[in-house]
Amino acid sequence: MGKIYQAKMSRRDSIKRLGSMTAVIMVGGVSVACDTAKPEAPRSASIPSTGHWPGIELEPITGPTYGTDPIVSAPTAPWPLTLSEEQKDQVALLSDLICPADQRGLSASAVGVPDVIDEWVSAPYASQRRDREQIVNGLQWLNDEARLRFGSHFIGLTEERHAAIVDDIAYRSQYEVAQFALPARFFSRFRRLVFGAYFSSPEGIEDIGYIGNFPIIGDYPGPTSEAMEHIRQVASAQGLPPITEYVNQ
Amino acid sequence: MQFAADKQLPELGESLEKKMASFDGFEYEVIIVGSGAGGGMAAYVLAAAGVKVLMLEAGRDYDPTKETPMFHQNHEAPLRGTSTSEKNFGYYDATVDGGWQVPGEPYSEAPDSRFMWWRARMLGGRTNHWGRLVPRFTAADFKPFSTDGVGTDWPVDYEEIAPWYDKCESLIGVCGDNPGLDDTPSSSEGVLLPPPKPRVMELLLKSACESLGIAAVPMRRAILTEPKDDRQACFWATPCGRGCSVGAAFQTTTSVIPWARKTGNLKIVTNAMVREVHLDDARKASGVTFTNRLNRKNVRVNADHIILAASACETARLLLNSKTEAFPNGLANSSGQVGRNLMDSLGAGVSGHIPALRDRPKYNEDGHTGNHLYIPWWDREGQKSGKLNFSRGYHFEVGAWFSPPGMGIAGAVDGYGKQAKDEIRSNYGTNIGLSLRGEMLVSDDCYCEIDDKTVDQWGIPVLKFHWKWSEQELNQVSHGLKWGRKIIEAMGGVVNNPNRTPEEAIEAGGQIIHEVGTTRMGADPSNSVCNKWGQTWDVENLYVMDGGVFVSNPHKNCTITILTLAMRNATRLAEQLTARMEH
Repeated sequence: MGKIYQAKMSRRDSIKRLGSMTAVIMVGGVSVACDTAKPEAPRSASIPSTGHWPGIELEPITGPTYGTDPIVSAPTAPWPLTLSEEQKDQVALLSDLICPADQRGLSASAVGVPDVIDEWVSAPYASQRRDREQIVNGLQWLNDEARLRFGSHFIGLTEERHAAIVDDIAYRSQYEVAQFALPARFFSRFRRLVFGAYFSSPEGIEDIGYIGNFPIIGDYPGPTSEAMEHIRQVASAQGLPPITEYVNQ
Repeated sequence: MQFAADKQLPELGESLEKKMASFDGFEYEVIIVGSGAGGGMAAYVLAAAGVKVLMLEAGRDYDPTKETPMFHQNHEAPLRGTSTSEKNFGYYDATVDGGWQVPGEPYSEAPDSRFMWWRARMLGGRTNHWGRLVPRFTAADFKPFSTDGVGTDWPVDYEEIAPWYDKCESLIGVCGDNPGLDDTPSSSEGVLLPPPKPRVMELLLKSACESLGIAAVPMRRAILTEPKDDRQACFWATPCGRGCSVGAAFQTTTSVIPWARKTGNLKIVTNAMVREVHLDDARKASGVTFTNRLNRKNVRVNADHIILAASACETARLLLNSKTEAFPNGLANSSGQVGRNLMDSLGAGVSGHIPALRDRPKYNEDGHTGNHLYIPWWDREGQKSGKLNFSRGYHFEVGAWFSPPGMGIAGAVDGYGKQAKDEIRSNYGTNIGLSLRGEMLVSDDCYCEIDDKTVDQWGIPVLKFHWKWSEQELNQVSHGLKWGRKIIEAMGGVVNNPNRTPEEAIEAGGQIIHEVGTTRMGADPSNSVCNKWGQTWDVENLYVMDGGVFVSNPHKNCTITILTLAMRNATRLAEQLTARMEH
């Protein structure tokens, strides 16, 4: 893993922002007002009493793009990457919390997911620019939350403390909890990117079991006998007419 | 039909009254504007018959045999191949310099109108990426007014067109079969190539449909399942929308255009954006002016015959922008119908997933990368007896297979860690999407006209679109949503967004990319632009051979009928011209 995260904002600046900012950010294309100064009832002793969201406003990325006629046989992403080393370390850590190595496949960072996310959030297209806003703020929120709860930036926490924070934002039900509404939306978006990048990697394709993208001479082979047997059972359990191969009527 | 590809041209002697037009040293008789389905087919028919053709294409030259990276995977592309504002259907989609917007060539929408216009700026146009779904129109489709008193009849009937469907399907190569339903007219014996075996979810769908009393049958697609002429058979991999470098998926750039070029009778000028059709004093078209997109210079070229096949809306735009004293409202527009009667297919989707298919056995489901089965319209009887509150049909296309993983694969997974990762693995291949494609009624509310306030980067006035769905369309989508849910539930599935309303589900006008009708044919010059041969009523040597000539827009995807009409109408023109040459 890379370097230890160094916050760009000092802790004092960060907390000051938390105390006084009303930010308007885009969430899933919808403008959401977030009054960060408004106090809310504490959920438990260990959770800060105030919902917060960094509200970092980023200079929009304006180019270069790959254009409307790229040479698709030699693909390149011409835009510069924008995540700092620290942000990338944090992306790597969070990606691996979301998509850890297990007996069936590698971890997200082992297949280069942080690089894909860097390319993604650095891209000069509207959808990716919205993601960048959400993700850069989300990463900062994790640091702010980590400091408020545990006095350290996110990457420096123990596994248990990572989980303590992530458990609060990893489920869509948390959209309904005021202080986690924005972080939970960030997490959903980030999770989607992580798993998308993982399972579309060569290793991820093998993990998920996609079979194809190679030429077959002759007729399309169709389902295997195992797949046919399985679908017959499914149809039968559903009370449907028996599965037959299509026969020209 | 005889394609006289190897026939020697007669000497051009004194019997021809005037010298042929020429461009860049090439003498020709016919100009074709556009190189997509209509233009490509017309060029082939004419060139094969010995007629010299100059084709003008607004976009750049394009060769799928060299430019299409068939086996690239998402991870080789920027952003994992995801759609962007520059590549609207993903990085590898074949479309060049186009999509919902063409740089420097805007269009506008009237207030409260939503219309999306897909264009390509490349040789072969949209045939390079189309879905290759090729269902035939039925006898009733050609005679909607006679069938139920709604809409307008075509000036041709199915009996007249059926042999041309056969010829066209035989030429381009179509896989499928003849299930004999009233929505699926049969091709003659020996015309169709065998369809591929269905995938297991399509078999489950078929079984579920049977339980509901409806049918799922092989989708006809313009895909070679056996080798044909100089094209290879489908090798059962890679999305057709990228273009097909082996020619198995039909596009004009691997078939009719290279074949026409081989005759020596076709010259193609690319980057030629036609801006105006000229009229001579005798109310005949004399030629066109195009802007060379590379140097911005305007070039005038003349011809004895002009075929417009620039796409329904571009052709209408060109006519409306070609104003003269004789035609102050646009060329060939004495009826006032140019730009009117614009239709698209209705689009709406129903999706879900089938829990019983979690962790189902893996196998190669690429197939021809489109749906192997589909659900044709099943309830014309219900409409005849007045049981339904809409008068036109729809079909369902099916998406349900182990597709190559992309950025959307996480779906609705919640949480994180191994549990979430396992959830995605288990759910892979359980999703089903049914895409409704329906017929809208022709409407006074849907048309395009010239926006007199906006020009494109070539100084050509742009189109403004007017669009409004009627109750008929919303009722049809309502029916489709209900049935789509029923079908997915019959498969044991869970429907996504089960409470979505028709207003939420219906896609924008133009979004299905089946726009037709803007220069419709008819039997009466007062309410149509072309006669049944695609010849404009007002200007005898001016023809339209794109989807503009459609009188209605049956829910069957339009391209096979564009190709078929272009083949038929260009054959008639070729016969007239070669008869004159031989005279």
